[in-house]
Amino acid sequence: MSNPRYFCGSLNQSSGVIERLYNEGEPLRLGETIMQADNLTRGFGTGSQFTLAVDHVSLEVLSGQFVLIMGPSGSGKSTMLAILSGLLKPDSGSVYCLGENIWSLTDIEREQFRLDHCGFIFQGYNLFSALSARQQLEMVATWGNHFSQQEARLRADGLLERLGLGGKGHLRPSELSGGEKQRVAIGRALIKNPNLLFADEPTSALDWTHGEEVVKLLRHLTREEGATVVCVTHDPRLVPFADRVFHMEDGHLVRQSYGYMSHPEEAVLPLPEPGEILPGPGDVVTFRPRIAP
Amino acid sequence: MGYSLTTLWYERQRYFPAILAVGFSSLLGCLQFGLLLGLFAIVSIPIDNSRADIWLGAPQALSVDLGRPIRESQAVDRLASNPEVDRCETYLQGFAYWAKPNGGMELCMVMGCRLDDSSLGRIKQLTPELHHQLTEPGSIVVDESDLSRLGLKNIGDTAEIVGNRVRVVGLTKGVKSLAGPYVMCSVTTARSLLRLMPEQITYVLGKCHDPADAPKVVARLRAQHGTDISVFAADEFSFRSRWHWLTKTKAGFALGYAAVLGLLVGAVVTSQTLYAATAASLREFAVLRAMGIPRWRMSVMVMTQASWVGVVGVLLSFPAIYGLSKVADIYGVQVLLDWRMVASVSGITLVMAVLSGLYALRSLKYVEPALLLR
Ligand SMILES: Nc1ncnc2c1ncn2[C@@H]1O[C@H](COP(=O)(O)OP(=O)(O)OP(=O)(O)O)[C@@H](O)[C@H]1O
Ligand SMILES: [Mg+2]
Repeated sequence: MSNPRYFCGSLNQSSGVIERLYNEGEPLRLGETIMQADNLTRGFGTGSQFTLAVDHVSLEVLSGQFVLIMGPSGSGKSTMLAILSGLLKPDSGSVYCLGENIWSLTDIEREQFRLDHCGFIFQGYNLFSALSARQQLEMVATWGNHFSQQEARLRADGLLERLGLGGKGHLRPSELSGGEKQRVAIGRALIKNPNLLFADEPTSALDWTHGEEVVKLLRHLTREEGATVVCVTHDPRLVPFADRVFHMEDGHLVRQSYGYMSHPEEAVLPLPEPGEILPGPGDVVTFRPRIAP
Repeated sequence: MGYSLTTLWYERQRYFPAILAVGFSSLLGCLQFGLLLGLFAIVSIPIDNSRADIWLGAPQALSVDLGRPIRESQAVDRLASNPEVDRCETYLQGFAYWAKPNGGMELCMVMGCRLDDSSLGRIKQLTPELHHQLTEPGSIVVDESDLSRLGLKNIGDTAEIVGNRVRVVGLTKGVKSLAGPYVMCSVTTARSLLRLMPEQITYVLGKCHDPADAPKVVARLRAQHGTDISVFAADEFSFRSRWHWLTKTKAGFALGYAAVLGLLVGAVVTSQTLYAATAASLREFAVLRAMGIPRWRMSVMVMTQASWVGVVGVLLSFPAIYGLSKVADIYGVQVLLDWRMVASVSGITLVMAVLSGLYALRSLKYVEPALLLR
């Protein structure tokens, strides 16, 4: 690989404005490689039970993109997401993320990496039933040492407001609708302003009205705040909102395409040959100008 | 802390068994030790029913009934030299052998106090009518409940204590006895019954102008005379005497054993409840772990919950303990809820709750973020 330039995103807390910075202090430019996965493989089980959930997958994600991983059930989407986000160790291959080879870090370093950069939305809301919406957000902000108690509260309220939950911060999960709960879960993922947001089936438990809201929100996040979103789904209705779609089948990456919004014809991109070096961060050729929604 | 308490309140039904178990442990411990302290309060009758603020005796006095002879003049001087002390008086107490009129021996506890109306050492059950009759040497008063134990039938009966002839001139009510019946008499009589020299006494009792000064005087005397004497404020000596019996007789051990069993039951229920509660939030914790929040934060939360379960359980047990001790009182059983005992039992119960939280931490082992991606 030709000495790729990677970036270290971090949060400018002092200005209160969301900014993503190089490690040198320059803003992280959109459209450059933020994540690069090479030849990822991961199997489960032994003997006759063995399944190769992810089979030699390479892909690249550019910063500020809203990326989908799609495919039928059991095709290895969730496994792929777990590997990319530093939750599940691949059997082979590497993931470069914001300049770090995350699977060569120690467990503690990787945990710190996730703390600094990653937010997660999982299927199901996974909210503490005893805590109010605001507390769910505050908990992450304070326990992650990102903010003081007061700052956390302010941010939580601000974020809930933006998520359309203003005035509902005191409600517990049992008092919120499914869509509202998912928005709280999104708020929890966003409270520390992560550079990378990973979502596994964020809309599957919602009707499309609420699902669409959530997708728009994720897309908005990439457009307005420069975050990068990697989202696993089997719902084709999400495709129009995405910048890039990776199609998986049987553990293979079979196809990657633009989302309709960024390229109306859903142009099919050539897959890299096995072993081929993916375009470096300097080559922005793969990233076409976006068409405004 | 906020999150733990909120969770505890919101899911109070889930935590209720644990709180109940903690409360039960605390209740069991306090009542058992209270019963025992009540029983051994018999030992401290001379202290609790007299009016002295300060007790000064021979070095290393373990209990009021185990006092050894001291020199009267020196001891009185030492106590009287403190300006806060209004007056001092001598007091004798010790075990002696009682020879029943119709044969047989019994251990008895001789108490010799001054007989004037303002006497410090005279217990309040020894009414003026009774103590006026004690001036004649060899006359004694015993409790009516001890008559048969002492082989007596009526007032006026005689017996022998280590070769001295004694005559019962009156009976008290409600002076219970444990090791040996209390025998009340004058200082002079007591001195001969206890075979002490004319200069020898067991305790010097002091009354302060202001009883609140007693601890100050005690501290000063200790600083001045160190291990030459033992000196205690009355309530302190009372507890010390009872505590000595509690620990010396192994009765404390027997009840302590039962209390430990109570604690164990409490610990098992608490840890299982906390374990189940934590396990029920496994996915929520896993989300936090995925976002890089360190595991110790969750451990602290579980431990804080455990502490709150302990605190709430112990606090809730207090009214129950108080109520049950009152019920026991109605049936003539004294449950002595000394604050030091209640504090120790509560403290141990709290520690138990926290330790069971520690045990519940193992459920956090299963917090695995990858499990959310299925
Ligand atoms: N922990 C595991 N142990 C054994 N096999 C597993 C494990 N996790 C995943 N697999 C297997 O790996 C394959 C891919 O699983 P994965 O969860 O990634 O699929 P998916 O694309 O997310 O499916 P779905 O759309 O149903 O969520 C499946 O065949 C699954 O049975
Ligand atoms: Mg899945």
